[in-house]
Parts: sequence; C-alpha cells; structure tokens
Amino acid sequence: MMTRLRPLALAAVLFFGLSGCDKFLDVQPRYVQDAENYFNQPSDYEMALTAAYDLLQTSYLTQWIGEIASDNAIAGGESVTDTEGLHQIEAMTHNAVNNELRSIFRWNYAGIARVNYLMEFKDKIDFPGKEGLIGQARFLRAYYYFELTKYFGDVPLVIDERLGADQVTKLDRSPAADVYAQIEADLRYASATLPWSNPEKGRVDKGAALALLGKVQLYQGKHAEAAISLDSVINFGGFALVENYADLWFDANENNSETVFDIEYSGLEGGSYGCFVCLEGNAAAGFNGIRQYDGPYYSDGNSYNLPTQDLYDAFDSGDPRRDITVLDLDAFIAAQANPSSISYAIGGGGHTGFYNNKYIKRQAELGLPDNDLTSPLNYKVIRFADVLLMAAECHAQEGNDVQAQTYLNEVRNRVSMPVITSSGAALLEDIYTERRLELSGEGLRFWDLVRSGQAAQSISNFQTGKHERFPLPQVEIDLAGGQWAQNTGY
Amino acid sequence: MRISLSTFLTLAFLAFTTMASAQTITLTGQVTDRSDRSPVQAVISILPAKQVKTATDYQGKFTLQARVEDSLLVQAFGYEEVRIRVGTVAMLNISLVPNRAELSEVVVTGYGSSTKKEITGATSVVKSEEITKLNIPRMDQALQGQVSGVVINTNSGSPGGSTSIRIRGLSTFGDNDPLILVDGVVYDSEGLNALNPNDIESINVLKDGTASIFGVRAANGVILIETKKGSQGAPAVFEYTAYLGVQQSAKRLGLLNAQEYAVLKNNAFLNGGQDQPFANTALGVGTDWQDAVFQTAMTSSHSLSATGSSEKTSYSIGGSYFTQDGIVGGAKSNFSRYNGRVNLSTEMTPRLRLNSVFLFTHEERRTLPENGIGSVLFNTINAYPTEPILEEDGRYSYLALVGDIINPLAQMANTYNQSGVNKFVGKEELAWDLGEHLTWTNRFNYNYALVDGKVFSPLVWYGPGKAQNTALNADLDAPTVELAEGFSLERGPSVYQHRDTYGDLAFESYVNYDRSFGDDHDFKATAGTSVFVRQGKGLGAWAFNTPNNSWEYADISASQAAGGYLNGASSFFFEERLLSAFGRAEYAFKKRYLLSGVIRRDGSSKFGPNARWGIFPAISGAWVISDEPNYGLSDQIDFAKLRMSFGVAGNDQIPNFAYRALLNGEGVYPFNELLTPGVAIGRASNPDLKWESTKQANIGLDLRVWNRLNVTLNAFEKRTSDLLFQPEVSGILGTYSAGGYPPFINAGDVRNRGLEMELGYSSKPIRPGQFSANFNLTFLRNKVLRVPDGVDFIPGAGFGVGGNVATRFEAGFPIGYFHGFVTDGIFQSQAEIDNSSVVQAGARPGDLRFVDINGDGVINFSDNSDKTQIGSPIPDLTLGLNLNYRYKSWDVSTNLYAALGQEIIRNYERQQPYANMLDYTIGRWTGNGSSTTIPRLTTSLTRNTVFSDFFVEKGDFLRVRNLQVGYSLPKATVERLGASKLRAYVSANNLFTLTGYQGFDPDIGNFGGVLAAGVDYGFYPQARTLMFGLTLQF
Repeated sequence: MMTRLRPLALAAVLFFGLSGCDKFLDVQPRYVQDAENYFNQPSDYEMALTAAYDLLQTSYLTQWIGEIASDNAIAGGESVTDTEGLHQIEAMTHNAVNNELRSIFRWNYAGIARVNYLMEFKDKIDFPGKEGLIGQARFLRAYYYFELTKYFGDVPLVIDERLGADQVTKLDRSPAADVYAQIEADLRYASATLPWSNPEKGRVDKGAALALLGKVQLYQGKHAEAAISLDSVINFGGFALVENYADLWFDANENNSETVFDIEYSGLEGGSYGCFVCLEGNAAAGFNGIRQYDGPYYSDGNSYNLPTQDLYDAFDSGDPRRDITVLDLDAFIAAQANPSSISYAIGGGGHTGFYNNKYIKRQAELGLPDNDLTSPLNYKVIRFADVLLMAAECHAQEGNDVQAQTYLNEVRNRVSMPVITSSGAALLEDIYTERRLELSGEGLRFWDLVRSGQAAQSISNFQTGKHERFPLPQVEIDLAGGQWAQNTGY
Repeated sequence: MRISLSTFLTLAFLAFTTMASAQTITLTGQVTDRSDRSPVQAVISILPAKQVKTATDYQGKFTLQARVEDSLLVQAFGYEEVRIRVGTVAMLNISLVPNRAELSEVVVTGYGSSTKKEITGATSVVKSEEITKLNIPRMDQALQGQVSGVVINTNSGSPGGSTSIRIRGLSTFGDNDPLILVDGVVYDSEGLNALNPNDIESINVLKDGTASIFGVRAANGVILIETKKGSQGAPAVFEYTAYLGVQQSAKRLGLLNAQEYAVLKNNAFLNGGQDQPFANTALGVGTDWQDAVFQTAMTSSHSLSATGSSEKTSYSIGGSYFTQDGIVGGAKSNFSRYNGRVNLSTEMTPRLRLNSVFLFTHEERRTLPENGIGSVLFNTINAYPTEPILEEDGRYSYLALVGDIINPLAQMANTYNQSGVNKFVGKEELAWDLGEHLTWTNRFNYNYALVDGKVFSPLVWYGPGKAQNTALNADLDAPTVELAEGFSLERGPSVYQHRDTYGDLAFESYVNYDRSFGDDHDFKATAGTSVFVRQGKGLGAWAFNTPNNSWEYADISASQAAGGYLNGASSFFFEERLLSAFGRAEYAFKKRYLLSGVIRRDGSSKFGPNARWGIFPAISGAWVISDEPNYGLSDQIDFAKLRMSFGVAGNDQIPNFAYRALLNGEGVYPFNELLTPGVAIGRASNPDLKWESTKQANIGLDLRVWNRLNVTLNAFEKRTSDLLFQPEVSGILGTYSAGGYPPFINAGDVRNRGLEMELGYSSKPIRPGQFSANFNLTFLRNKVLRVPDGVDFIPGAGFGVGGNVATRFEAGFPIGYFHGFVTDGIFQSQAEIDNSSVVQAGARPGDLRFVDINGDGVINFSDNSDKTQIGSPIPDLTLGLNLNYRYKSWDVSTNLYAALGQEIIRNYERQQPYANMLDYTIGRWTGNGSSTTIPRLTTSLTRNTVFSDFFVEKGDFLRVRNLQVGYSLPKATVERLGASKLRAYVSANNLFTLTGYQGFDPDIGNFGGVLAAGVDYGFYPQARTLMFGLTLQF
C-alpha cells in the first residue's frame, strides 16, 4: 500500500506544494516610484509640476503653423514632401491626415494629462505654497486647452482625472464654449493665486495668467472683459517695452521687462529627429535657418517657414521692424565683407529669399548636436507689446478710441513710427495692421486673421466656414471610436 | 515527419523444399525488398554459431552451408532483421521489410519523452544533418523551410542579425516568438547567436495544444533543442568540421545612373515649374553607390568535437569558432563566436544519474545603422550618382542636395559600434530511479550573460545641415556647452560604454511514472513544479573628449572632459518570476488507442494581483489504425495514425510592471536656465491586465506509404483572445509625452487556420545511388476577429514621412494588412480628368488615377473612405524542399524555400527632389499614352505619394537556399590516413531567388513590430555565400 501511494504523494506535493506561494510572485519595482503612491511631500508636487511644464516646449509647431497658414510665410523646406503637412497647410489643402496636426492634438493632451495627474491628488497633503503651485498647474492646463480649441474648436474636456483606455470611446467633444469656460476658470484661479513676479526664470506668474486670460477672452470676442484683464496687466504688472526692438530676439536678452509669458528652451541637451517631444531646445529656430548656409553670423538650417514678399512689402521702408522681422538674405550677404565666400542652398519646398529673422539659427546661439533641434531661443508667447495691442483692440472694439490709440502708439513709439490718430473702424484696422508689423514671425498671424474675419481676403484658397478650424486628425477620430463628427468642410 | 535511414520490423518469406533431411545442406537464394522485389545486400549469420557470416552479392544472392537445426539471421541496413529456421528447404527467397525504427525513435517532449508512434500532438522533428548541412550560422535561419507550420523571416541579413520565428502564424500583437528551450534552458531569439548549429542533435517543434505543458509561455509554440550527447557504449569519435566562405550581395537595385538621373530630374523640376538643374545631361554613368558600398566579405567556421562514452559516463564535448564579415561594411559589421561545451552523463549509482550540460560562448558583434531613414543602405539607395564618392581634396562628398542623406561611405568610416557577450548556460540534472516505474528528476538550469557594449561617436562633419554632424564644421571643431554664465566647455568626441548582466535561474522537480498493466494497458504520468527567476541589471556611462578623435583611445578611462562635467551614467534593474505546477497523464489501450491530458498552473510576476494565476489544460488522443487486427491496407499503407488535440496556452511576453503606472516618464524643463527634472508617468497603467490565451485544435494523420514515403497531415485552428498589446491610443489619454507610452491592454481576437503537409521519401538504403527528399507545405489564413471595444481598427506602420498610415489591425482582415488607395492607371490628359465621373482634387495629366471605393464621386484624401485592403504581409503558402542524392562517394543536396501570396511595401524611396530613384521611373508618364502605370515626376505637391497600391509589390519568391556537392574519400584511403571519414564539399547559400520584387531581398521580417511586417525600409539583405568545407572523423 505504501509503495503504491508514494508516487501519488510525491506527485501531489510537486503539483500543489509550491503553487500557493503568491508572495514569491509579488515582485516590486525597484528604484522607481509608483504613480499611485506618490504626492507624499511638497517636492513631489513640484516635480510633477515641472513635468507638466515640459510639454510647453512642443509649441514650436504653433510657431510655424501660425505663420505658414497665414499670408506671412510659406512652408519651405527641402521639398513639398518634406513635412508635407505644413505644405498642405500653406496651400490650404490640408486634411485629416496630417502629422503636425496630430502632434498638436497629442502633445497638448499629454500636457493636460500631466496637470490632471497632479490635480487628481491635489488634496492629498497640505503645505505652504500649494495654492501657487496649483495655480501654475492650472495655468498650464488652460494654455494647452486654448491651443487645442484654437485649432480644433470643440474638443473633449478631461479635468482632474486620468482616463482609462476604455473611457475614451465614451467621451464626446465638448462645445468650445465649455472648453473656454474651463480655461477661464483655470486662469482666474491662477491669476488669483500667483504672484506678480516669480524670481525663478521660466515660472508663470500673475501677469502671464491675466494676459492669457485677456487673450482667451479676446478670442471669444469678450472685449470688455478682455480689456479689464489686459488693463490690469498693463497697470499693475510692472512690464515695459524693451527700448530697442532688435534686442528682443537674442538668447542673451531673454527674461526682460517685456517678457510676459515665455516658453523656455535650452541648448544644453542634444536632440534627434527620433523624438521631437523629448527636445529641450526650440526646433523652430534651426528649421527656420538658412539651408546649407556657409558664412558669418547665421548658421545652417532647414529653410522652413519662409516669410513672403507680401509680408516684406507690408512694412514701411522706414520701419526698423522690417529687417528685424524678415531677413533679406541676398541683401545681407551683399553687405558682408567678402560676399563671394558666402554660400547657401535653395530648398525644393519653395524659396522667397526671406527668412524668419526673429527665430533663426545664429552661430552665437547653437545648442548641442543636432543643433537644428536644440536652439536655446525662448518662444515669446505673450510679450508686453502684444498685451498693449490686444488691449488697444479691445478698447477700440468697446469704443474707447483714446485708450486704444494710447496703447497702439506706445508700441509704435518704440520704433519711432508716426502717431496714429484714426478712430472707429479705421483705428481697429490700424491696430490689426500694427499687429502684423509688430508680431509677425511669432506664430500669431493666422489666428489674428481668423478672429478678425480677414482670413478669406488675405489667405488664398481660404474658405470661410471651413478653414477657421483645422480638421481633427482622422486617426484620432478612429481611435476614439469613430463617434466624433469631423469639423465642417473637411 | 522525417524519414530516417535506420529502421526495423516484420517479415515474410517463401520457401521451397528441394532436399530431404541431412546434417548439412547447401542453401541458395536471394534477399529482396518486400515492396518492389528489388535485391538487397544483406549479411546472413548462421545461429547459434554466429561467427559464420555470409554476405549476399550485388544482386542479393547467396549460397551457404548450414545445418538443418540452425537458424539464419538476415540483417541489412535499413531493414528489419529476420530469423529463419533452416529446415530442409534448399532454396530460400527472403524478403525484407524496411524497418520502422523511426516510429520508436525517442521524441523529447516537455518534462519527458515519447516515441513517434505514441505521440498524440502535432510536432515536427529536424535532425542535425539537415541543419549542419546548410552551413548557416544561426539555428533558426537553418530551420527556414525545414518543417511545416514554421515560418522564419530574416529581420536583417547583417552578420548576427536575428530572425522572426512564427509557428502557425501571427497570433499576437507583441512578441510572437516561440518558447525556445535548449536542453531545457530558455533562450530568446537573440540568444540563439550563442549556439553553434553543429552542436545540435535534434530540434523538436511543438506546434499544437499539447505545448500547454509549458503553460503561459507556450502560446506561440515551443521549440525544444537538444544538443549532442554521447551515447552509452559508443566508442570515442572525434570530428573536425570547417568551412571557408566568400559572400557577395545577391542582388543590386536598379538605380538611375548619372545621365538618366539628370534627365529625369530636369523633367521633374520642369513639371514642378522650377528651373531645370542640369544644363548638361551627358554625365555618363557617374557614381555607382551600390558598387562602392557592397563588398566581398569572408566567413569561416571551425568546430572540433569528441563524443563517446566510458563504462559509466557518456560525453560530448566540443569547441568552435565562427566569424562572418558583412557584405555591407565588412569588418564593421562582423559577427564572431567562440564557444565551448561539455555535455556529460554519468551513472553515480545504479539508480542515480547525473546529466550535465555546460556551454560557454563569447560573441562579438559590430553593427552599422540599418533599416530605415539614416541607415547605410537607405543612404546608398538615395545617394545621387552625379556626386563623386570623394571630392578632389580627398574628403568624402557631402551629398548636399538631399538634407537627410549622408555619404554612406563616410558613415561607415565613422561608425564604431561594438558589443560583446559572454554567456554561460547550463543544466545540472539528477535523475533518481525510485523504483521500477518511477523516476524523480531534479534539475537546475541557468543562463547567465554578460553583455558589454561600446559606441564611439567621433567628431564628424557630413556636410552643412546634416543631422548626423557632431562637429561644428569641416574643421571638426567641437561644440561648446555653457554650463554657467561665462563657463563653457568643449564637447568633443564621446564614448558610451555599458555592461549589462542577465541571469535566468530555474529549478524544476518532477516525477515520471511509467507502467504497463498486462499487454493492454500502458500508463504514464508526470507531475512537477518549476520555479523560474530572471534578473537583469546594467550600468552604462558616457564620457566626452576622447583623445585624438580616435577609436584607438575610445574608452571612458581616456576621457579628457574637464572636471567630468559632461560625463554621465545610467543604470537599470529588473526581476521577473514564474512559478508553475504541471501534470500529465497518458494512457494507451492495446498500444492502439492513446489518450493524454495535460494541465499546468502558472503564476507570473508580470501581472498584478488581480490576474496573476492562469490554468492551461490540454487533451489529446491518437488512434493507430494500422495496428487494428482487421486493418487491410498494410501492403500500401503500413502505418497509419490519426491524432487529435485541443489545448489552451498563454502568453506573457510583455514588459514587467505593465499592469501598473510607474513614474519613469520624462519631464524636464529649464528653470533659471537649468534643466530641471520632473516626475511623470511612463506607461499608463492597467491593473486588470491578464494572460493572453490561445486555444488550439488540431487534427492530424501520420502515414507511411509503400514503406518509403512518410506523410504527415495537420489541420489546425488557433484562436488567440485577450491579445496583449500596446496599441496606439487616443491622444486624449495623454500618453504621448517624453518617456510616456500607451498602456498594455487585453483586447482583440485573432484566428489562424492552416493546413500542413510533410512528405518524406528515401530510397532503399543499400543501393549505390541513394535518394531522399523532404517536402513540406503550409497553408495559412490569418484573420483578426475582434479589435478593442470602441475602435474600428488599430493603426500600424507609417509610410514615407507624411503621416500616412499604411498597415492596420482590423477585424475581418489579416494582422498588419495594408490599407491604402487603389490606383487605376494614369490620367492621360486634362480632358480625361475633366470628363471623369470621379472628382480627384488637384489631379494633373500624368498623375495616378485613384479608385472611388465608396462611390461618392469624390476621391477623399482627408479620411479613410476611399482606402481599402491592398495587400498583406502574411504568405498564404510556404513551401520547403530538401533533396539529397548520394552516388557512391559523391553526394549532392539542395534546399529550396518558397513563400507565396504576401506583399511588400516599397518604403525605401526618399521622395526628395534630388534623391536618386529606382530605374522603373525611366518608364514614367511623359505625355498622352506614354505610360499607364508609372506617374509623372514632379517636384510640386501631388497625391502620387499618398500610400496606394503603387507602392505595394508582390513578395512571392522561391529561393535556392543551399546547393551542395560533396565527396567522401573511400574508406580504405581514409583509414590509411588514420581517420574514419573524410568528406569535402563545395556549397552555395542563397544561390538564386526567383521573385518579381524590386527590393534587395523579399525575405523580410518585421523590423519594428508585427504591424511593420512587410514594410521594406532598405533592409540589409542576406548575402550569397560560396563555401568550401570539410568534415573529418577519426
């Protein structure tokens, strides 16, 4: 009997003996923190906030598209298939298959998700300064949502939570009005909790929050409210125009009195084409650079985002901003000591002879390799001149022409342009014109044309009722379950 | 099923009496083959006086003297031996039956063994001869075309490059590699580089549900590899084998020469409304970049082994050296391997046996960038022929007109990428006979690898604006880094070094019970448990300012970076565990009705507490029809077995901790000009993540026809559900940030259905001219049955650089099928465009004319409504054929492989104004009626570059993988030299490929995941190799 049972007993021990040891399988990750057990000390919040800032750096795309979609610039580049999405946007033939638009969709939501992660745990612990930290986070979320709604109109609203994969397909697009309401709420909170100035360069502050709030209100046509927001920036923010317009565009002069909201870039980390979202540098500057340039001052780039003759001609010849905004390359070369030693190439994606002179790769401002991608030049998202012009526009819209003229002429005065005394519709028109002269090359033109209703007359092939919004990427519609209606006309 | 030349069984004889009884009679007769009455050379011994032996003559005839009470033992190689009583009959015709030893051949299964006759599952066995014959450095490459149901694709033809092994189709999204066990030790596909194919005794592929004995790792099938072992009682045999080979590229692409290039580019620029770049097009041939990049490269191999046994110990030991240079890059893409092994089996006590396996391997590999934009071959294809390789001043040319192409020769010269692996693999196994019927086996397996890598990045200048530049200018000035106000450092050449260690430890303990009750009942059972732990850790560091910008000094120790400010380090650590219990019961009634059941319970640390354990059962049975008493077909079909199986297996091949979100994302932002790290989620979590499970049913038939032809047929259906994968997800989830990834999810069902056939034939072994052939065929249909809830499909690989999605995972279609526009010729004139019933925005004469799939009258480029299925990377049919012929001392063999019915996406053409092009563009549309297939060339925006069937080519091919002629020295000569065997041969690998595919090589794997299968990014092709080799035994 014993011998007969022995094999069975052994088999049973082997089969069942070890299988209860669940503990053995409970392997914990080492040297890395778990997302569910985080936010235990103030610095945890600080670190999560830093990561939420990170996605701001993907705004190089909006620097391009705001220009290329408008009458200010063509896409350029090596060929029409080199970043084809930009060429289609230039030609207003863009559609729902577009890498750049998809990146805008993905990256801004990535920024939102990082804010929402922090917000989900905002009540876990309390510590001094938490409000200001949450204020920064909510500012960032407002910025990312504003980008999304500018491009796509109605977008799904996700607030203070992390979504599970199965929740996406049940989510509808929220009306743009709801998105704007959330943006305003976030910015109000930010402006209420943030100080006017933050000693740490790169942190958003009350001025940035109020200026962005004013801009958001202006984009909705809420001119009176926007005027209040912007006036408070002007009156209490302590900002001032930099004396010399030309100084604004150099790395060395960043963080000046005109800086309201900059996106910070650094050249201290190398970068590659494999991961644009990983870059710490500003890809716009290198891409805007002169193709295969071999000569002084500037450095070689990819000849993207090339200003048009139309933009060049928009300037009064006496306006110093023309040559600061637009580089007439052949004229520049002719003015050098030994012009024949300087060479550059013309890309197959188009050539105008002009280059974006505000954001361009210069020899003194190179980041680490690949230095087409690692420019340290900050993106000046909102500078004080823009605040003045936005405020001027709001006041003009509200019939307060005198205040509008004052703000407008403050901007013109810096570059010694004559005082404008027009009023009513003419004044408004002058303000729009001034915005182009002052702010071209900074990624604002397309949005200005759209909200002022001037896009159709300025942009060839622009169809009113369609091109005010960009199409939602088809693949994003598909991945969300195919339930969303595409934007009108696409 | 394989035909083996050794064999055994049955008999039949006819006898005629001619003489009455006598003490001694003279017998005459003939020995023949039962099936066709052909003569057989045999040896006849007279029993019991065994020393008297008579050999038959060439015609099988014999004459001998024997006593009437004697018996005759008739033996012939490859036949059943026969005993005949002499009696009084003076003339004997003896017919022999080819033996059926192959049916009692031991087949290694999981935690035990079986015989071919008894096995109830669908397995395929490959013998060492078939593998070693091919002289292919990797065992998996050698397996291509050898067995049905197994499709092997080369991911890269570079030396040491890996393959994708697919058993019965693609069933999952992520890792489709089977579980590979070498002497019971787990190997991954990459790790197969460590094995010398010469050391392999047999390969057994478990294809069906019976693989469930390996539970959670068995869903993609299991490959069991046994290395050579000594056999009891065998004398020592020493063997030396070696070969030397010359490799060349098997195919060059048809690219434009300088004159053609100039003419076509002028045409393209003209059509684009731009100035024509070439005033003079009479530029001759120009630079042939392929000629410059491809080179003749050497390969060689030497192996020495000793196999044999002493009284209580059997052994097989060996050592080998292999080296292969690349046809691209030569020594810069070299792979070398040194290995040594000791397999010992010793009887410690009569009831205790120690089996020990030990393998040490040292590998070295150098690699160049391959596959995709930036690879050497992509640069080679797109480099234009009007540029010299070297400029007059001796520097490499810049190829300045195409931004993302660099001079491929400069690239090879400046690439330094080397890795080395030291690997120790082994098994210590104690088998203890607890009784007559019971064995208890305890074993300890280990697989320890030490991986060293070094990458040197010199300061290099490929030309203005090139992304790969590390220097500031042609003078190789280093960039500077401003660490603080007024404090800058030069950032010179750099070196990255890393050392990673990986260790697997497994302890397995199991009992095997084997007992027969009477003649009718055979019972076998196995039960056991297994504990598996894998750890990996690594440390990597980089240092700048390598002296002299030189590889000679490329080591961290030589770094001259001031204060070490630029230098840095990183590390990683992981651990995973698997805990298992398994059991199997087998029962045979009258050895004709076989039934087997398997169950395995696995727990894996890859999953969270919600779904950690899984149970994997299987049941199978077989009926040996030919053993039925009233079986009447034995003359035609002497063996017939019907098999059926059903089993469930799992797959856990996902990264560790995929079920939970860890803070290993990347979130850096400059505050106060200082790059400040933040904390962000890496991969999104999914706490309910669980096993992927595969259910498979198989029905099969094994036959032997006319004693010579082995036939195996299988039909299977395999359904994988709860697929583990990490698909693209909606951007709203917010996972597309630096270091952020979508979650792993369980979603989707995939079905693979297939038919397999294996035929094996060998002629009678005694004839001077011997012929054998193996043929296998696999027919496969792959279909996605379900996609994750809420989405219609998962987008896959991109095409070109413009955001086109070319492949999909979608219900109703094969995994990774191609999805795009269908073309219908070329618009010949403006009138044709104007009169077309379909509006195609932006069309010009000479443009591709797309088909309005949804019939709305408009070609919609904005959504998917006019796209449809335009191809699939999965072959419908794969075929393999081995032919062997031996005549006296000469032997000839060949191995052919064909894959039919798949398509390939041509994705290596850089659509840039100055990039070189394939020569099919010469036949482009240039005016009404000039072409109906190839669109016009232009530098302006067109829709000709959207992903359409214009970029999809048929991938069918037939390849002569090996052709070999060998000569064995006559035995007498060899013995005079003190050896027992000497064979010399010449052999050619990848000799010839019949295909319509334009690319380098139609045998492409999936570089970049399942959904990138069939996408050709300028793949490193397999070389054609001519070899001379010899085998010496003594």
